[in-house]
Amino acid sequence: MIAAVFSVIAAGLAFADGSIDHLLRAWLLGLMLTFGWAVGGLALLMVQYVSGGKWGLLLRRPLEAMSRTLPLVFVYWLVIAINVKKLYLWASPALVDDGVRRGLISPDQLEVIEHAIGFKRPMLNPNMFWLVGLFCFTVWFLYTRKLYLLGSQRDMDSAANTPFWIKRFENISGPGILVYSLTMSAAVIYWVMSLDPTWYSSVYGLLFLVGQGYSVLALSIIISISLSKAEPFKTILRQTEQHDLGKFTFAFVMLNIYLAFSQFLIIWSGNLPEEIPWYLDRIRGHWGIIITLDFMFHWLIPFTLLLSRDIKRNKRRLVRVCQWMVFAKAFDLFWLIEPNFKDAARNLHFSWGILEYVAVPVAMVAFWVAFFCNRLKTRPLVQTNDPHVAEILEAEHAHA
Amino acid sequence: MPPREGTYGLLAEFDTPSDLVRAAQRARQDGWRRMDCYTPYPVEEAAEAIGFHRNNVPLLTLIGGLMGAAAMFLMETWISVLAYPLNIGGRPTYSWPAFIVPAYEWTILWAGLSAAFGMFALNGLPALYHPLFNAPNFRDGATTDKFFLCLEALDPKFDLVETRAYLTSFQPASVVEVEY
Repeated sequence: MIAAVFSVIAAGLAFADGSIDHLLRAWLLGLMLTFGWAVGGLALLMVQYVSGGKWGLLLRRPLEAMSRTLPLVFVYWLVIAINVKKLYLWASPALVDDGVRRGLISPDQLEVIEHAIGFKRPMLNPNMFWLVGLFCFTVWFLYTRKLYLLGSQRDMDSAANTPFWIKRFENISGPGILVYSLTMSAAVIYWVMSLDPTWYSSVYGLLFLVGQGYSVLALSIIISISLSKAEPFKTILRQTEQHDLGKFTFAFVMLNIYLAFSQFLIIWSGNLPEEIPWYLDRIRGHWGIIITLDFMFHWLIPFTLLLSRDIKRNKRRLVRVCQWMVFAKAFDLFWLIEPNFKDAARNLHFSWGILEYVAVPVAMVAFWVAFFCNRLKTRPLVQTNDPHVAEILEAEHAHA
Repeated sequence: MPPREGTYGLLAEFDTPSDLVRAAQRARQDGWRRMDCYTPYPVEEAAEAIGFHRNNVPLLTLIGGLMGAAAMFLMETWISVLAYPLNIGGRPTYSWPAFIVPAYEWTILWAGLSAAFGMFALNGLPALYHPLFNAPNFRDGATTDKFFLCLEALDPKFDLVETRAYLTSFQPASVVEVEY
């Protein structure tokens, strides 16, 4: 319902703006958000298979359902891949020419851009974009499929075989996490970072990796608390586990600002003409307001709220914080994506198109959530033949 | 202060944490307030059972952290802007991004130290003497495998005979009277 309404609004805005440029940019934001949940969910699923622990038992099925939304994310990605020439400077000389003609790209910048595009041609070209994208999706799809099928088989098996299954999942997930971090880095470099072909930063993949942990955990908490209105989550989401998840999320909030600030500090200290323009594009021309808000939304607010033990143990308040974090993630992606385009760099201005950043992601996320719920319903919410389940079924103070 | 004399309280010894928690919960329900539990390792339920929900360690940690951040940031600002301004690569003397890292480190350091020393201070440590060490079974058991509930004589409900009977009703391993 929400999805339909916002899709219509998005289409309306595209007409008002007279082009689909912003629709595509906002689409990219929606893609990165849902991609973060699908593939980040897969990663956290693998982490929980490797690490064990009660939080893993709690989140196993929701994370699995997240990872199984990959087909929808693939469809989202296809839209970007088909329109690669409309988004990426390196894919289309027409975009560069247009920027020069409208005075958005200065002669100096043009030289740098031409040089960077020429030098990075073997990597940044539409064929490679498709190839790497398809390869990454294949890898993620294989992992998702494998973990899903093995999970189903494990459900049929008796509890006595648990040690075998634990080893089995560990052996797949361990290397899987490594493969995930490499493929995910490649994907975000192609999809987001290459919007500005002149810039580079070696921490970029890691920033998105941590960002995915951030948004996946926030979403997982929202999901488990919503599910806790009914059995079985009513029993198994005990205050201890909720508190633990809150602490885990807090760690990612901290790690996120740690990496983001390190990148800023290093580039700011270096102050090199190859690197600093990326930040100047995002600070000057009123973007300073956005980056300040981003700092507050993305770090300061979740950090100060999650410091409190009471908020972490209160269902309603923790959900509010996590919803806020999902919004903050989207806001951060807006700050990452929009200034890459020459009409917006160092020039934050209103156009009908910019409202697409609200309409399109909301519609895409709504569709994604519907698909996710559908996936979640196909499996039992808790794995019943794991001997550790008994531990989270106990009342909280029983062991005292 | 003159040395206190007389009975400090009655000390009941239990073999399991569950027995201790049950006894402590009952005692609190029955109106006891001046009491304490002693266990060889942290038993959160016991703390909850005697109505011990909050302490000021988080507040001390927060204050310590904020003080650390402020102190370091101001110190760096003072050094770089006023006391010893240096031109480093043409950057402004007030280069706040560079000040963040040491300020952050001091936040952690001060928060950690405040938490540790604040905890000691609020616990009344270091304490050279505690009446409970007069009980031989406490000396042997409290740090190994026994769980203790002490009802203190300061509680208005305390009565040497009745309280002993009351504690015995929980079927502890022993009840001993502790002198100051």
